[in-house]
Amino acid sequence: MLWATGVGIMYVFLFVSLYFQVFMLVSFIEVRRRPRHPDLIGPAGYADDDALPSVAVIVPCFNEELTVGATIESLLALDYPEDKLEIIIVDDGSKDDTLLTAQGYEDDPRVRVFHKDNGGKHTAMNYALAHTNADLIGCLDADSVVSPDALRHITPVFADQRVAAVTPGILIKKPENALQHMQHAEYSLSVFNRFTLAGLGSAFITPGPFSFFRTKVVHEAGGWRHGHSTEDLEMALRIQEMGYLIANAPAASVHTGTPRTVRALIRQRVRWTYGFLRNAVEYRHMFGSRAYGNLGLIILPMALASIGIAIFFFLRILFYLVQEIEHFLVRYEVVGLSIMPTFDPFYVNTSALWFVIYVAIALVLVLIALGKGLGTGKRGLPGGTPLFVFFYSFLVPVWLTMAVIRAVFKTGVRWR
Amino acid sequence: MDIDTQDPIIAARSAQWSTYLIAFLITSFIFATAFLASSYFNSRRVADVRTTQDDISTDILSLETQFDLLQEYSCANVAENTILPSALQTLANRLAYLEGQRASNTDEVVRLKRLYSLLEIKDYLLMKRIAAKCGLKPVFILYFYSNEGDCPDCEKQGYALTALAQTYPQLRIYSFDYHLGVSALQTLIAIADVEGELPALYMNGQTHYGFKDVEDIEKILPQLKTLEKSATSTPATRSTPSTSSGRASSGQATKKK
Repeated sequence: MLWATGVGIMYVFLFVSLYFQVFMLVSFIEVRRRPRHPDLIGPAGYADDDALPSVAVIVPCFNEELTVGATIESLLALDYPEDKLEIIIVDDGSKDDTLLTAQGYEDDPRVRVFHKDNGGKHTAMNYALAHTNADLIGCLDADSVVSPDALRHITPVFADQRVAAVTPGILIKKPENALQHMQHAEYSLSVFNRFTLAGLGSAFITPGPFSFFRTKVVHEAGGWRHGHSTEDLEMALRIQEMGYLIANAPAASVHTGTPRTVRALIRQRVRWTYGFLRNAVEYRHMFGSRAYGNLGLIILPMALASIGIAIFFFLRILFYLVQEIEHFLVRYEVVGLSIMPTFDPFYVNTSALWFVIYVAIALVLVLIALGKGLGTGKRGLPGGTPLFVFFYSFLVPVWLTMAVIRAVFKTGVRWR
Repeated sequence: MDIDTQDPIIAARSAQWSTYLIAFLITSFIFATAFLASSYFNSRRVADVRTTQDDISTDILSLETQFDLLQEYSCANVAENTILPSALQTLANRLAYLEGQRASNTDEVVRLKRLYSLLEIKDYLLMKRIAAKCGLKPVFILYFYSNEGDCPDCEKQGYALTALAQTYPQLRIYSFDYHLGVSALQTLIAIADVEGELPALYMNGQTHYGFKDVEDIEKILPQLKTLEKSATSTPATRSTPSTSSGRASSGQATKKK
């Protein structure tokens, strides 16, 4: 009975997960066919460079002397009229030579460097907000670099007055070890998701690296908040709540640094998931609400449900694994390591469950390939994809569980 | 303007119900296909087992007939035509796997299992008769197990017997689900005088209760030494992947779900 209930739940969860994947794919196809529709896309950009909005890029830094130089240089290399670009470095109380490094670039008229006491990323952003009159304001984390043409892809989108924020296409800065290659595949999937979510009017994160905002909307919203250490998610939800659109320009490439170790990755993801959960509680009125369209009806509820589903599947796999080990130990005790498994097609598992899982994995691969196409214009799958599909199935539930536990006990999370 | 990846995406916030519906139809289609494919492969398996049983049943009938005609023929002919223990073993493994799958056609699997028990009993009786008449010395083990959770040692016993069967390919192990409602089986249980305690092994006219490892069995059945050992002498490098104990095998099968 218990067993049957477990299987029933598993199939329901599997159906829900697969449904969501298919929904994203169908939406993607519709979004790709849609941009011609006059009602859904604004005027295509600005008449000429003189009409371009002025832009302020904030670089909040805390102890980033090693990477901040490259970040500033990539910003100085941006293809954008010089008199319309401001680069605001906010040293958030670093204890290393970040300030000194940043000050080295102050000769350039576009660069301004500020120092303040440490108060967290959102305080650095608000500090810069108070010191600029630019039309658009964005942020670039000090571990990221941008392509020279990135702003050229982003600013034209703001010609549509309903747009309050534009997110870029985020890629990984030179993946080196296996873990970073896995994240490379994951980020391709994120490029797909961000694009499709924007198409559904449902983006709920404006990621730290190179998302841009209409300054007046940020003022209207009252600036950035702590947002449970995920100020980028909180700001996106607030913009959605205010009724503005969040668009995506996947061709605006940003390359961001990623955790090199499993420990660092888990810490980062626990922070993300924790932030989502805590903000979900604060913005719970948006969940299931038709007023927010797809975001309220499917995207937010599914983002929340997927956490539970992933943990459920993980526990189920763990349960089978333990059973399997038990059987192995019993057999080992009786006959040692002598029974060699041999292949007999009769025993190939052909339960419906596996068919659905194969389809789901195939779909994930399709979505990753689409994301890679969107982000880089190249075909195929990133090299780390097989590793990603396999190891993430075990890693993800770990940080999800940790985040859920922390969110329940409201422990707070650290950035690093 | 051409549609390419350069297009920044903006969308109105409203939900389009057609998207939800299309996704639902596609997902349902995938699920339906998965269930159909799975049920197709399952019935293929059942059909496979049924064919094997039909073959064995025909072989037994043929052997019986041959035996009845024995007066006119030599014993050598008959001995050559006995059912190989490995054939029965393979069948047992496959049945145990099907049972462990808990697929929709459970009734069909139980039917096949009952038939299998009958075939085992027939083979056992026939072999005893042939042995008596032709001076053969087959070694038998009747193994009674249970899948219903009342036999914690059945899994271990299954592994030990599998290892034994692999060491002695000529050894005839007949495994019976103690709780299977087949009257012939219940008669056999009565004759072997097996009481509820499981696992039970009937060897050399005596019933032994509780787990017996390979050495225990070799001690109880000294005539095992007269049997040929398999070419790969150490227990178990032959193909049989699992065991004739339903419990052990079904345990192995369930994990694959």
